[in-house]
Amino acid sequence: MINYQKFVLDNGLQVLVHEDHGTKIAVLNILYKVGSRNEIKGKTGLAHYFEHLMFGSSKNVPVFDTALEKVGGSCNAFTNTDITNFYITLPAANIETAFWLESDRMLQLNLSEKTIETQRKVVIEEFKQRYLNQPYGDVHHHIRKLAYDTHPYQWPTIGANLEDIINYKREDVEEFYFTHYRPDNAVMVVAGDVTLEQVKHLAEKWFGDIPSGQIPKKTINQELPQASKKTATVQADVPTDALYKVYHMPAKMQDGYLESDLITDIIGFGRSSILEQQLVKNGNIFASIGAYIYGTVDPGLMVFSGKMEKGQTAENAEKALDEVVQAFLESSISNETLTKVKNQAEAMKTYESVQILNRAMSLAYYAHLGDADLYQTEYEKKTQIPADQILDWARNILREENSSVLYYKGT
Amino acid sequence: MILDRSTAPGFQIPKEISFPTPLIRTLSNGVPIYFIPTPEIDAIKLEISTDAGLADENFDKKLVPSFTLQMVMEGSKTKNAAELDDFFDTYATEVEPLLGFEHQGLSLLTTKKHFNTVLPVFRELLTEAVFPEKELVKRKKQKALSISIHKEQNGHRASSLFRKALFGENHSFGQIAEETDVDLFGREDLEEYYHQKLWTNPEIFLTGNIGEEELNAIFNAFENLPVRLSPQSNSDPFNIPSHKIREEKEKSVQSSIRIGCHMISKTHPDYHHLLIFNTILGGYFGCRLIKNIREDKGYTYGISSSLGGLKTADYWIVMADVIKEYSDKVIEEVYHEIQTLQEVPVPVDEMETVRNYMVGKLLTQFSSSFDLIGRFKSIHQAGLDFSFFQSQLEHILSFNQEDIMAVGKKYFKQGNMVEIIVG
Repeated sequence: MINYQKFVLDNGLQVLVHEDHGTKIAVLNILYKVGSRNEIKGKTGLAHYFEHLMFGSSKNVPVFDTALEKVGGSCNAFTNTDITNFYITLPAANIETAFWLESDRMLQLNLSEKTIETQRKVVIEEFKQRYLNQPYGDVHHHIRKLAYDTHPYQWPTIGANLEDIINYKREDVEEFYFTHYRPDNAVMVVAGDVTLEQVKHLAEKWFGDIPSGQIPKKTINQELPQASKKTATVQADVPTDALYKVYHMPAKMQDGYLESDLITDIIGFGRSSILEQQLVKNGNIFASIGAYIYGTVDPGLMVFSGKMEKGQTAENAEKALDEVVQAFLESSISNETLTKVKNQAEAMKTYESVQILNRAMSLAYYAHLGDADLYQTEYEKKTQIPADQILDWARNILREENSSVLYYKGT
Repeated sequence: MILDRSTAPGFQIPKEISFPTPLIRTLSNGVPIYFIPTPEIDAIKLEISTDAGLADENFDKKLVPSFTLQMVMEGSKTKNAAELDDFFDTYATEVEPLLGFEHQGLSLLTTKKHFNTVLPVFRELLTEAVFPEKELVKRKKQKALSISIHKEQNGHRASSLFRKALFGENHSFGQIAEETDVDLFGREDLEEYYHQKLWTNPEIFLTGNIGEEELNAIFNAFENLPVRLSPQSNSDPFNIPSHKIREEKEKSVQSSIRIGCHMISKTHPDYHHLLIFNTILGGYFGCRLIKNIREDKGYTYGISSSLGGLKTADYWIVMADVIKEYSDKVIEEVYHEIQTLQEVPVPVDEMETVRNYMVGKLLTQFSSSFDLIGRFKSIHQAGLDFSFFQSQLEHILSFNQEDIMAVGKKYFKQGNMVEIIVG
């Protein structure tokens, strides 16, 4: 449980307050409900690039970071397929500065030519550093392109390619700002040594006069059910083959999502998981393997990813993986396994809640899904799901025609 | 009333930060336990850290210390590998090897609920591991593969070459692991290291929701641990005349850069001013290197400088991945920024920013109770205590322009620098 109180401003800004008077610091976290799922072909990567632009200047703040550092604060942000999240940590006594800074860039970002051009270069270097200049770095570009035909999840948040980043125009950036960076498209969480009354006063003072969004969001093309198995082969300069097999799965708030999470917990999480024990520790094909989900607002992917031992091929590895998965589908899940997964979920909540910033982000994330209480209720639901319900969903998802397979091969 | 947004809100910078002192108990075998209770957090973290490092190891068998610690989870006298895996996962417990240059050990993270169940099995890992051959063979293959992947990563390769150039290939910190190194040792080497060397001067660092019951269990578990108490000698590293290595990679679209030299450690009286100098140069987002190389020129996604944090042979390093064609230009700019800080007084406004930023950072570092033991461990292992941070706070609040120029001139000499470019 994370205690919190909430209110909404007239312009639609949702505000949550998590008081923790055991600390002398405060956190201000603003989540904008925009990510790469809101992009279109030819303008991919724009959401993440825009996150960079938010650290330029706004009407009354020449340099965002410097103004914050001057009061003892620090900040960062991240973008993913669904959200863009900005966070500030600072001495609680100076919390008003965070309101001043965040409200000024929501109301009147400058978007100067210098910022637009320099951050374009910086993001190109980020793209190269993380995705082009690393062994296996472009794997997710290939997987997404293969698995999705219509949904914007077909490209990673950094963007489909460098060309798109090179070609953004000022109009693209401005339209993006006025469509998505509006109070009614945001959730703000203030946590730490603050009070509800104080936050109410400051939120009204600094955010109350920011107008709501006027530009409607574009509809997002949803993916149709996949009818047959898809495969692709990539040759690259890597020391060993890698295998990625993905299956379409339900969205975060749909039936079957929590079951999907449990399926990968059982099959592929931790040293005692089925995949690790059978394929790595007691097999000669895989050097490593894991399973996880892309838990996303629109339907996501269940991912199996592994690296082969030298000399073993990705094609053979798929056969070995399929056998283990098939055996799982035909098996039953023991009470011991369910207890284990439940214990892990419980402990994870304890570990995650140690840091105040994590608590603030969790509240913002679940509030954006519809209700911050989901943080607790989803966990309770997950730990009560019976074994046969997990296996029913596993049989529904882990079908060959629902899969896409990438063979990433060393030359 | 219309809000005046043009005026920044008022602010205050804390002049005092409370640095709580850990409680200390000593076991009958001489092992000290340092602990900070955090009754509000239902997790428990226990680290047992030793003075067994890489320093005194046989060079051909350089992978023995890390393999020993990784292999303790692969089977004990009462549980085989699969049973250990299942046990720790069932109780949602994370056991991780601590693999530092100067200290090695094991860490345990679990919940208060399962602590008493988990502790005896964790204790077994310290003396009852059996190092089975089958698991060793698999781990060797995995390690050889990861070494070959690391070689392909420019950043990883550049850091390895930097250490090799800085410490020399005859120093354990300067060695680069090769794929063939996994063939140079066997399970008997791991057993020997485990029984003869690993538990040298162990210390226990503990935090979480710990009551008398847990504390007594810890006493009982560790007071029979056979330990080796032995004084540690300090090596004395020295800077060699400038040393440049360039490893071309035709297909790379970026170059990884490393620049640095040996540096004074935390115990030196100049350290606090050195840390401030480093922060201004490359230690926070508003630093000179980010402003120049990233925010003005756009040559990189990130560039930073930092101090290594070693007790016996500390060093200072700049790290960046940059546009290939500009790697020489970036190195030139790094020297230019150092020189500017040595010769031109830092503007008053920038001084205030960095001063306040550093106080806020320190306050944040001491704001989460669960992290305090880690702060203590780092400073304790440097041979100091929490008064270091009180002194750091005082230096941050009082430093002036001359202090920065003086420390810059004293410790940063271009002729001492190692420069690495990979890519």
